[in-house]
Amino acid sequence: MPEVEIPIGPQHPALKEPVNFKVIVDGERIVRLDLDISYNHRGIEKAAETRDFHKALYLVERICGICSHAHTTTFAKGVEALMGIEPPKRAQWLRTLVAELERIHSHLLWLGVAAHEIGYNTLFMYAWRDRETVQDILETISGNRVNYGMNAIGGVRRDISDSMRIAILGGLRVLSERAAYYTQVIREEETLLVRTRGVGRLPTERAVALGAVGPVARGSDVSFDVRRDDPYLAYDEVPFDVITSTANDVFGRVEVRAKELVQSVQMAIHIVENLPEGPTMAKAPRTAPVGEYVSRLEAPRGELLYYLRTKNTDKVDRVGIRTPTLANWPSVVEAIQGHVIADIPVVVAAIDPCLSCTSRMTFVDTDGGPKGSLSWDDLVAYGQKYYREKEGLP
Amino acid sequence: MKKPDAPGRERPGAILPEIWKSLRTKPATEPYPAKPIDVPAGFRGRIEVSDEYCIGCSKCSIVCPTECIEMVADERDVAHAGRSVKRKRKPVVHLLSCIRCGLCEEACPTDPKAIFLTEKFSGAYDTKDVTVG
Amino acid sequence: MSALLVLYLLVFPGVLFLLGFAFFAEWYDRKLTARMQNRMGPPLVQPFADFVKLLSKEDIVPDGVPARLYAAIPLFAFAAIATAFLYMPILGTASPFGFGGDLILVLYLMTLPTILVFLLGWTSNNLFARLGSVRSVSQLFVYEVPFFLAALGPALMVESWAVGDIVAAQGNGWWTVLIQPLGFIALIVALQAKLERVPFDIPEAETEIVAGPLTELTGKKLAVWNLMKDMLLATGAALAVALFLGGPTLPGVTFGGIEGAFIAFFVFLGKVLLVLLLLALLKAALGRLRIDQLMDWGWKVLTPLALIQIGIVLVLKVVRVL
Repeated sequence: MPEVEIPIGPQHPALKEPVNFKVIVDGERIVRLDLDISYNHRGIEKAAETRDFHKALYLVERICGICSHAHTTTFAKGVEALMGIEPPKRAQWLRTLVAELERIHSHLLWLGVAAHEIGYNTLFMYAWRDRETVQDILETISGNRVNYGMNAIGGVRRDISDSMRIAILGGLRVLSERAAYYTQVIREEETLLVRTRGVGRLPTERAVALGAVGPVARGSDVSFDVRRDDPYLAYDEVPFDVITSTANDVFGRVEVRAKELVQSVQMAIHIVENLPEGPTMAKAPRTAPVGEYVSRLEAPRGELLYYLRTKNTDKVDRVGIRTPTLANWPSVVEAIQGHVIADIPVVVAAIDPCLSCTSRMTFVDTDGGPKGSLSWDDLVAYGQKYYREKEGLP
Repeated sequence: MKKPDAPGRERPGAILPEIWKSLRTKPATEPYPAKPIDVPAGFRGRIEVSDEYCIGCSKCSIVCPTECIEMVADERDVAHAGRSVKRKRKPVVHLLSCIRCGLCEEACPTDPKAIFLTEKFSGAYDTKDVTVG
Repeated sequence: MSALLVLYLLVFPGVLFLLGFAFFAEWYDRKLTARMQNRMGPPLVQPFADFVKLLSKEDIVPDGVPARLYAAIPLFAFAAIATAFLYMPILGTASPFGFGGDLILVLYLMTLPTILVFLLGWTSNNLFARLGSVRSVSQLFVYEVPFFLAALGPALMVESWAVGDIVAAQGNGWWTVLIQPLGFIALIVALQAKLERVPFDIPEAETEIVAGPLTELTGKKLAVWNLMKDMLLATGAALAVALFLGGPTLPGVTFGGIEGAFIAFFVFLGKVLLVLLLLALLKAALGRLRIDQLMDWGWKVLTPLALIQIGIVLVLKVVRVL
């Protein structure tokens, strides 16, 4: 068969969010993958410039539903660093607790979605049933199952009582058994192994060269974790290991996430049992002085990076957000070469893509070109003209 | 508690023991709405405004991140901190823009709070805008 | 034709019963799968409600698709399976329509839906449908051989191609599954592949090629196709019960008269539920394979299994044990 172009997306049952893969295949073998992201661009970076810090916190929380706490924590700690204030210890530990619980939630959700992508619906149902346990814990702590609203500039908004502590520890004990079970099942179930071993090969040097982060990089034996290499919050006091895998393929990424799940449950138990006493909020000034800051954090998907610039006002002057999924896309394009169509959902699901996080790019041509503003109708007409030309339509 | 790190045999159907267990136990599904669901204390539910306690200071409207609280003209005498205050405005919340963050509840100076989140969570509407208060 | 025969053909256990039985089989399968996944599962009327809902949806025929041929394909498939079911023994050792070579007829009629799936995908003027139909035919080559070989086993044992004779022999002796367990396993696995369910639902892999050959089916055509799939499940289970589990008979017991038919029916139903349980277990416990992995495994494991079984049967016959 001659080369055929298959459009996977922007709407496709394999994708939970819009992204456009134009897959050029020869028979069933993939020759090339053209990637088109940014269908989910919402102008958040620009919107953050017109809101003060407290309101902008709620804006960045909604960049992503699954890593919402990661976004607010990075933003809050960046602004706190610019203001020169330090949240109290208990607040740091509580932030860490919610971050680890969010990691558990994200990895359980991912396990279910990845199992669904290979048609393994039973594992999907079990993983999402256990996800309810961590959702209940988060609901007890913060009042909401996603978008927790725990952070404020200067500390956390809620505290945990002793009765909450008992409920949380009970839930975490259930989760630790389930996490151990999943780590065992993924290494034993043969249909899962044959679909993930040898698929999406990414050797260590290529992972480093393409800038992969998070479990994708650690699954290719790149030992990099922001929690250890650039410690923040309470991570310098909570014991943990950086988990890597030498498999260099999709199975490596699966293994890393399953073991991180076990690890995060242990860390969460440690944090709840050793929570320091004290206040949960430090008083924050109204404005932040002139300055720039790069705030990094290990989100469930990898390294999340915020560039913040303030100019002695109560708003950010510029916030630039580089999410982990954006850094992982080039590795997908490379890893899928030479595979068959059936491997596309497997390789894509292995990076745990979050398109809402990804669509942050803005290209600004500063040294030329006309300046002005487009009305809504002009913008719509421009968009239509752009796509017509791109697709070669009359 | 930690299992040894060596995996078992690689075989199809490694999940079968769990399947047997699931066939013997009750389903994990909650049969809502046949059975009501309990929410924990502190759950962020629907927002409500109390006409009796609001003094019209507009702090809630100022801190709201989505700017969904509109202050409308409304006169009433309200008891606050031992004295009687003549309020000039009261808040009206556009319910479908409310993100239930609770910043308004934190900012409200009255005791008991005049604007607060309840524990109600169900509701469906067929109009484009729903207001509370 | 006598009035009773017409009643058999149209009502019980003919077309109307088959429709009800197909819906029941789908419900039972979905409920079992749900309970295995720790969920609740649908209520009894769900498959019927889905069918009625689809009948009322808009029927869209894309550009470049031959409309009449496209609409006829689900009806042909429905007719093929309805005819195949007529030869299944449900109330006694043989169906009243049974004749000397009806096993071969049933096997061929059950192959027809796969050919029609290919045609459906090919005429759909849709890239995903074309890919799916190619996969469907590739899968056909893998499972059809073991399926026929596994069905050959009991026929060889009884030295007859009539389903009625095979069931009658089991009614007087042992169930075939006790003598040919490998053949039973091969038949169940090949049946799962014929029904295109996980781990063999490669042609319809939702996360890879949308809906495969069925991508452009809508409205009434989709309703008839889903009904056909349920009927294929019911017929396949009935065939497995007839060939390996003794059909509606119990070994050494004869049923007579109206009560006899009644008891035979419930014996048959119980065995069908057992076969459906096995199929649901296969569906729940495994993930989907890739087409090249399926071919590898099918030719290296499944077909040799069926061949070994045939070999054992031949040896046993020569030694005059059977």
